Amino acid sequence: MNHPPAETMIERFAAMGTRFEIHVFGGCDADAVPAARRAIEALDDALTTHRPSATADLNERLLAGRPALVRNALLWEALDAVDAAYVATGGLFDPAVEHGSWSCIRRDRAASRIEATQPAALDFGAFGKGFALDHAAAILKQAGVRSALLSAGESSITVLGEHPLGGGWPFAVPHPLDPGRSLIDLELTDEAMSISSTVGSPERAAMIRPQDGARIGERRTTIVIEPSGAEAEAMSTALLVAGPDSAAALLGSGRRYRFDLDRAAAPEPVEVAA
Amino acid sequence: MITDAEFELSRRSFLHRVMAATAGAGIAAVSPWAAVAAQASPAPGDRVRLGVIGTGDRGRALIRNILKTRNCTIAALCDSYAPHLAKGRALVDPKVRSFADHRAMIDAGGLDALVIATPLDRHAQQAFDGFDAGLHVWCEKAMARTIADCGAMVTRSRARRKVLQIGHQRMFHPTYLAARKRVQAGEIGAITQIRASWHRNNSWRRKVPADATDRQINWRLYRDSSAGLMTELATHQLQVGNWFLDEAPARVIGSGSICHWKDGREVYDHVALVYEYSGGRKFIYTSLLNNARYGCEEQIQGSKGTIEAELGRIYQEVPPKVLALQRMQQDVQRGHKRTVPIGGATWFPELPVTTPGESLGWGEYDETMLQFEGFGEAVRSGTPLPGLLAQAYDASVASLLGEQAMDRGEAVTWPTNLVAV
Repeated sequence: MNHPPAETMIERFAAMGTRFEIHVFGGCDADAVPAARRAIEALDDALTTHRPSATADLNERLLAGRPALVRNALLWEALDAVDAAYVATGGLFDPAVEHGSWSCIRRDRAASRIEATQPAALDFGAFGKGFALDHAAAILKQAGVRSALLSAGESSITVLGEHPLGGGWPFAVPHPLDPGRSLIDLELTDEAMSISSTVGSPERAAMIRPQDGARIGERRTTIVIEPSGAEAEAMSTALLVAGPDSAAALLGSGRRYRFDLDRAAAPEPVEVAA
Repeated sequence: MITDAEFELSRRSFLHRVMAATAGAGIAAVSPWAAVAAQASPAPGDRVRLGVIGTGDRGRALIRNILKTRNCTIAALCDSYAPHLAKGRALVDPKVRSFADHRAMIDAGGLDALVIATPLDRHAQQAFDGFDAGLHVWCEKAMARTIADCGAMVTRSRARRKVLQIGHQRMFHPTYLAARKRVQAGEIGAITQIRASWHRNNSWRRKVPADATDRQINWRLYRDSSAGLMTELATHQLQVGNWFLDEAPARVIGSGSICHWKDGREVYDHVALVYEYSGGRKFIYTSLLNNARYGCEEQIQGSKGTIEAELGRIYQEVPPKVLALQRMQQDVQRGHKRTVPIGGATWFPELPVTTPGESLGWGEYDETMLQFEGFGEAVRSGTPLPGLLAQAYDASVASLLGEQAMDRGEAVTWPTNLVAV
């Protein structure tokens, strides 16, 4: 069957310490893709902890044990999403670092005031990437885009609508210890996927379970598909650090996968649940 | 041969680009001289009468540009070397008076300002003589052979209430002005490093005619009259560094050597320096005379991009393509739907990026003309172009400080006793 070439727009740029790609199929308003990029960059500016930002200012105050006045709307929106993700994951997703936890953060929106009951700092990490993809996807959707793929570092993927040739978007996630093999093949339609792993990158920081501070030594990969990038990122992170009981509870619904790569003797990676 | 109409069109286009590059909030604060010079409409009437001291290669280039201006005229020429004076005379009206001695030219009167394009060690005294005679002064860079003389030139111009302007043409170049504007707009992020070089592959030595001495012709190679690569080349790029980093350096370390041209010269043919700015920012400079591969360039580097000003290019920090997504694009164009492998470990080769970047716009017009139109208006009004002398002073001091760092083999801090400009 012959298909006419699809009209495409591609935006490729660095933000949030990784590479973003936006692929739009079927054409749209010329301003839509640049606007989607600007939305991601604006979130980068608000959420980064590597240069002056609203989040860096907030962290400085919270670490000093002082309340902070926060008037950055994007930061407030991100904090709302964090709060929802914290509840949905039973506290296993927690962006608080240093000594504190999300549970010690107190927010007073009317007064634009945030404080912590003990010194704490926030690091949005991969959650910020998923959250940024959500913002960019919303802009594209509003501009009438019906088919698009957005990638943040290839570990956060959001697709809008169906594949340009119809049906779902087919993906294969390589086995992190044997890239020649696929860990899983799956299709996405109008949803987001997050891939998290304790292996695969030499500079990857150790994963810590927030509830008991346990370091996750096992080699694991988690893959989660959710309606939004922020939800997918929070859940894949939570699954990575979850103990057996918590993991079983989280894996009980939706398209969520956890692969225990330490069962190396097994011929195939073990999929705990799906 | 370009017609008057073509010339006027080209001139207007040039001024339009300078004005475009200097328009907008914020940019006027970092390049105020250019906006004022481009917006000034040279009023008809008496032209500013210039006496040019030094009609060698550079002096004659200046004369050609002065002749293009709408508000300046060459009233007299001076050079102690007769063949150079003859070449200068050939460019101007035969009625223009010529002299072998600059004091005689000044004493003859009929001038509003001096243009100095002589060996570096003579700049200060000639400028003093001009100021003392009630003349304004336009002087080639670098300002003077010593930091003390650079300051004394500023002080004397103030005491006599005369304009002192130094020839840094990049400050009027549309490409540089556009680059500075785009930096101001945050397009390449905060600048943390400038890597600059001026590499040539020639001896820098000129043939000495029978009627001249080596010191007369090759004055750049002797320490009495020049700091060599530092004052003749680096000073241009140090000005760019200070301009783009918004301040003068705090300290400089360096190493210099006569590494290749062991022909009796006194100045280094290889220099390598690091100028340190606040916040850990750096200006890294090399200049040499036996390899031209990397030529003359300032690589202005921020977290979001790079500007290569001499090439007139701006590059965004675009990460390499995700090959799997590139293949997906090709598949879709061919009507194939294939599984996209995603989420594996990513490897980034750390080789130089060779993407072409985007043009900053070229200036096919010589910006030296605008320098002189600006100077002409400054002389008429008695008000210097804003910000220009401070840039020139800092650049000259930086070049001479670099020489000191190399000679001493130790870090040299920015002087605290400089004249406030």
